[in-house]
Amino acid sequence: MATTTNYGWTTPDDTALVKDGASAIRTLGSSVDTTTKALNPSTTLGDIEYRSSTANTNTRLGIGSSGQVLTVSGGVPAWGTVAAGGTTILASGSLSGTATTISSISGSYIDLVLVIIGRVHGTANKAAAMRFNGDTGFNYYTSVTYGNDTGAGIATPPSDWLRTGGDAQATGTSYSQENIWIPNYASTAINKIAHMRSYTSNPSSPTLRHSIGYYASTSAITSISIMAESAATLTGGTYILYGVK
Amino acid sequence: MTNTSRPIVRIHNAETNEIIDREMNDAELEAYEIQKENDKAAAAARAQKAADRAALLTQLGITEEQAKLLLG
Repeated sequence: MATTTNYGWTTPDDTALVKDGASAIRTLGSSVDTTTKALNPSTTLGDIEYRSSTANTNTRLGIGSSGQVLTVSGGVPAWGTVAAGGTTILASGSLSGTATTISSISGSYIDLVLVIIGRVHGTANKAAAMRFNGDTGFNYYTSVTYGNDTGAGIATPPSDWLRTGGDAQATGTSYSQENIWIPNYASTAINKIAHMRSYTSNPSSPTLRHSIGYYASTSAITSISIMAESAATLTGGTYILYGVK
Repeated sequence: MTNTSRPIVRIHNAETNEIIDREMNDAELEAYEIQKENDKAAAAARAQKAADRAALLTQLGITEEQAKLLLG
């Protein structure tokens, strides 16, 4: 009996008798049906197939859940959930008072990013500052490089707060910006660092700063106080705190 | 009775998104006074350093710019 090249379906020989044609067609049709079903085992909306370890036999994979993506598990396709990631706004608002404290910060992120825009102080020429967890001890160290249109320099500011930027202006529209990245803030095993970049639009001394801050504490950071040198009041500006995964 | 002479602080609870403006409590007020004193002392130290530098430049008979050139 002859067979087809790819799937081995049985077909009549050239010498087969016509009277056996119906049976031969029925056998061939049955083979085609079996093979087609093996190649297309779908039963439900959204099903897809992939090749199994058996030749000419596919495996049905039912549709996944919303948001799932096609991935690989155990050497075969599978629907999987993408690990949550990205950036979430944890708090945003306006600076006010002698300090604006963002409290109850969730520890379920990897890093924090704090952006402060348009900071204005009640007293001129007071540095932008920050504290963690209400810690007023001398536990803050900062390495600062800064420059303006007349020169550059380095500075070592006081260490009972972290200097996040230059001296803020006291009136008018401020274009100051501070971008503060705090990696591993929820760790209880390591001391913390903060990468701080800022532009301060103080008219008397507009300054660009790039600082590395060090907070000598293994405590997880659960609150951040935005403040000013010499306890000057915060009279303008906004903040956004992001959690990053 | 509320002591209205105390500085105001803003507390933004990131969990509840509640924002409260209130007067400093005793501990915060103490820290506030200490910070002012610390920063005042730091400012005085910076001013003294600047004055010492200016006096030294005068003594050497060179300008600030010349000093920068000298120090590279």
